Amino acid sequence: MPSWPSETKYISHDVLRIDAPEKVSGRARYASDIQANGWLYGMILRSKWPAATITKINLEPALKIPGIKAAITVQDGERTIRFYGEELAAVAGATKQACLDALRAIQVEARPKPSFVVNEDIAKAQDAPRVWEDSPNTTTPQVHEHGDVDKAFGECAAVSEGFYTTPVQLHNAMETHGSTVSWTDDGVTAWASTQGIASVRDGLAGALRLDHSRVRAITEYMGGGFGAKFGAGVEGVLAARLSQAAKAPVRLMLTRFDEALAVGNRPSSFQRIKIGAKADGTLHAFQMDNYGTPGIGAGAATAGGGGAEIPAPYIYRVPNVRVKQVGVAVNAGSARAFRAPGRPPASFGIESALDDLATKMGMDPLELRLKNDPSEIRRREYKLGAEKFGWKQKYKKPGGSPGIVKTGVGCGGSEWGGGGSRYTQAEAQINPDGSVELRLGVQDIGTGTRTVIAVVAAEMLGLKPEQITVKVGDTQYPPGPGSGGSTTCASVSPTVYDVCNNALAELQKRTGVADARGDNWFAACKKLGVTPLVVQGKWQDGLSSSGTGGVQFAEVEVDTETGLVTVKKITAVHDCGLIVDKLTAESQINGGIIMGMGYALYEERVMDNLSGVVLNPNFETYKLPNIADVPDIDVILLNMPERGVIGIGEPATIPAAAAIGNAVANALGVRVGSLPITPAKVLAALGKVPKPVASAT
Amino acid sequence: MKAFEYATARSLDSAPQLATDNGHYFAGGNDLLGRMKDYITDAKILVNIKSLPGLDQIESGRDHWTLGALVTIAQIENHPGIKKVFPGLHEAAAEVGSQQIRNVATLGGNLAQHSRCWYYRHRDIVCLKKGGDTCYARHGDNRYHSLFTGNTCISPVVSNLGTALAALDATAIVRRSGKEARLSMSELYHRAWENPLAHNSLDPGDLILKVEIPTARGRSAYLQVSDKHAFDWALVSCAVAAQVSGGRLRRPRVALGCISPVPYQVEAANDFLDGKTLDEATVSKAADLVLANAQPLEFNGYKVPLAHALIRRALLKLKG
Repeated sequence: MPSWPSETKYISHDVLRIDAPEKVSGRARYASDIQANGWLYGMILRSKWPAATITKINLEPALKIPGIKAAITVQDGERTIRFYGEELAAVAGATKQACLDALRAIQVEARPKPSFVVNEDIAKAQDAPRVWEDSPNTTTPQVHEHGDVDKAFGECAAVSEGFYTTPVQLHNAMETHGSTVSWTDDGVTAWASTQGIASVRDGLAGALRLDHSRVRAITEYMGGGFGAKFGAGVEGVLAARLSQAAKAPVRLMLTRFDEALAVGNRPSSFQRIKIGAKADGTLHAFQMDNYGTPGIGAGAATAGGGGAEIPAPYIYRVPNVRVKQVGVAVNAGSARAFRAPGRPPASFGIESALDDLATKMGMDPLELRLKNDPSEIRRREYKLGAEKFGWKQKYKKPGGSPGIVKTGVGCGGSEWGGGGSRYTQAEAQINPDGSVELRLGVQDIGTGTRTVIAVVAAEMLGLKPEQITVKVGDTQYPPGPGSGGSTTCASVSPTVYDVCNNALAELQKRTGVADARGDNWFAACKKLGVTPLVVQGKWQDGLSSSGTGGVQFAEVEVDTETGLVTVKKITAVHDCGLIVDKLTAESQINGGIIMGMGYALYEERVMDNLSGVVLNPNFETYKLPNIADVPDIDVILLNMPERGVIGIGEPATIPAAAAIGNAVANALGVRVGSLPITPAKVLAALGKVPKPVASAT
Repeated sequence: MKAFEYATARSLDSAPQLATDNGHYFAGGNDLLGRMKDYITDAKILVNIKSLPGLDQIESGRDHWTLGALVTIAQIENHPGIKKVFPGLHEAAAEVGSQQIRNVATLGGNLAQHSRCWYYRHRDIVCLKKGGDTCYARHGDNRYHSLFTGNTCISPVVSNLGTALAALDATAIVRRSGKEARLSMSELYHRAWENPLAHNSLDPGDLILKVEIPTARGRSAYLQVSDKHAFDWALVSCAVAAQVSGGRLRRPRVALGCISPVPYQVEAANDFLDGKTLDEATVSKAADLVLANAQPLEFNGYKVPLAHALIRRALLKLKG
């Protein structure tokens, strides 16, 4: 069994990103930077109706606009539209303005449906308009039950009931979805903003009926992806078809407006939770009824809106459990995987319920967690975090903080799987001049994968990370994993370990140098003569594992007169096995916390019942944290080399909203059970909001 | 956006002439270009007014200061004299948008900006304010909307500076039909109170030249609360100004933003405060008077206690 070196120079240390100079100087090329020869802009026409039958699309007027080279429909013939923003047609042209004009020139004939539904509660009703004609809006309830819940609640010393809700959250990666696609006689090349270059290649090949070998996907740099950037996407296929029609490369990047409509989101949740404990605080019974919407359905056209289920009671083991969940279809864009799918809402629900139970029992909520958390590692993290955070000094009974601006503290835990993909492969080229090139068909979605590869290679070869040239983001390289599920780091690290080991062994065998590492490297490579060494490697068992935990503590100030919540401090303790690059790992946690904070306080897709549109398809009213909102963040990483490498991207964001929500409840002495916790909701929870006037006409 | 012509006005006479045929004045462009890109505003011609002479000055005076319409928000924010003489105006300027926006946004543009109502700003919704027949917000999501209005549209005025200048009893000097018209802040916005199609009382061709601010009220303050801590529109804003002598308020004025189509002022509240000393009971009573006729809707009722708190806090800031 291979094992990681026990003494390390780079692994587990702070290593700067090897591509930082490219990024800060603007030399890094993202999908929207590609200047393919003769490229055209591509744009998509979207439905203005939330539900309609499209009977005819006339592209002729668009084709007459000067500069327009191609116009295509998404689908020929009559078709049904089920949400505002669904793709209808696309154009390619020499200028942005020509494309904008062309979109407005296309004539769409449609029979709008008289009724539609965008609100979960309305959609659940028996007589609600159907999103899918042949099936009800709600799925058959998923029921999960063990023990005897009804009896168990009778055995509890304390029972708490609450209603906890989370909104539909939009991914809003800094770089929008899209690609530049060139379709020539030689095949298709797509420079895509994707979390999976292989999925783009396979998706395009499938949609265009081409051999995989004739499609190449490239992602040199990427401006973020949180689960919604896999596959070719409607926009990717349209870009390819436009390229074929226009006989020119087409750059089709979505706008921020588009991002809010049709490229994924995190489903909402409406969790009615009842939880009970024995007198000593041991959890004894848990019951949850949950519904939420994944829009028209998760994945491609899932009738009846599946995909909104969440794990419950998540990280806790309760002997008597009954969980009932339904997905509710509404006329809105589909859900897609979103950073730790299901977990942030699950965490908010259960951790809120736990704190409310602790309040009822007069218990310190941290004690309740230490009593019930089944993970030894997480209990250790709670103790360490509490010490660093100053929980004992800061914790007061709910509402116990004096004055108008009250302080409060809260905490919560996370659990995630992760693990590496055993099919990951790599190629190393050792040149006679001592330079090293590593090639992996993986993509760096902004998390620092390039740097991680360089760190492992440098450690194995006794070189410096900046001496390693890392080539990723091209389907012509050996196959790598998609970057989802926090698996990338655990996929590439063992693979790089292997390919470097193989390269070193081969180099030493070829040159007769006993140990070619470090100081001997260049002399050894020189002995290769004129032929570089090219060596393969693949993922090896024993160097990575799965299963991570983490806990976060939040301290907030809440102004009880204005309702404004200010997060003052977050202390996060996480484990991810062997830390490869401490700096990029901490970066993941910082980002996860800030994203979780947006979920807690600001973010929410708002739909309009009357028109069916998304009301906030922009950063003006879809509110994201600014640097002015971001608190002091203290990240503590447990390094566990014996466990091997585990990913950290997703677990980092899970408990932030729960911890902040609990801190707000602790400050106020009342629960704001609905995310985002806006001033409006804080004031409502405090009973300060007057009733609406009777007549609203 | 749609194609448009572009011209630069060199004189106050030529500006309105150039803009005669569906022209729009163009200075910072933050609001106008956004509306054009979203196909909310059509313009046949943009008339660049940034070269008009004399409109980018801040002039101090004993009785009043004059701020040209082309003065940027950043200039107002960073002017040491304004910070001293009109602290409320300084505070209001500092809360506008982001630093980048403040660097190019102008006083005139801030006053004349259109509603931020998310129905009005939506490219595919034709609401009452755009000439449609329904105020979607009334029956829809009105969390950011008005507590007071004189018509059916409930989109509020969001100009920070308009609110601060209302409390300071400033006068906008507007070039209208070749003459200079003097409009109080109430008059500058009054049409929006009555007419759902209006954002302010300006007619096509009217050009805000400058704003005169009397120095009579030596103390002023501005507070706003947004969902976020920076770069976010106010949920409610409150500006107050008064002369304070012997601990008593003289000629006090309270104005609220984001809760009405106009900077909302209640004379009864101003009258009540006149001659009073500042204490919790007094400011609370004043807040009650300002908010007496609030008409909260389904999602904006929180603005009542929020406004109440801001009125009290802003007034207490006048104690110095």
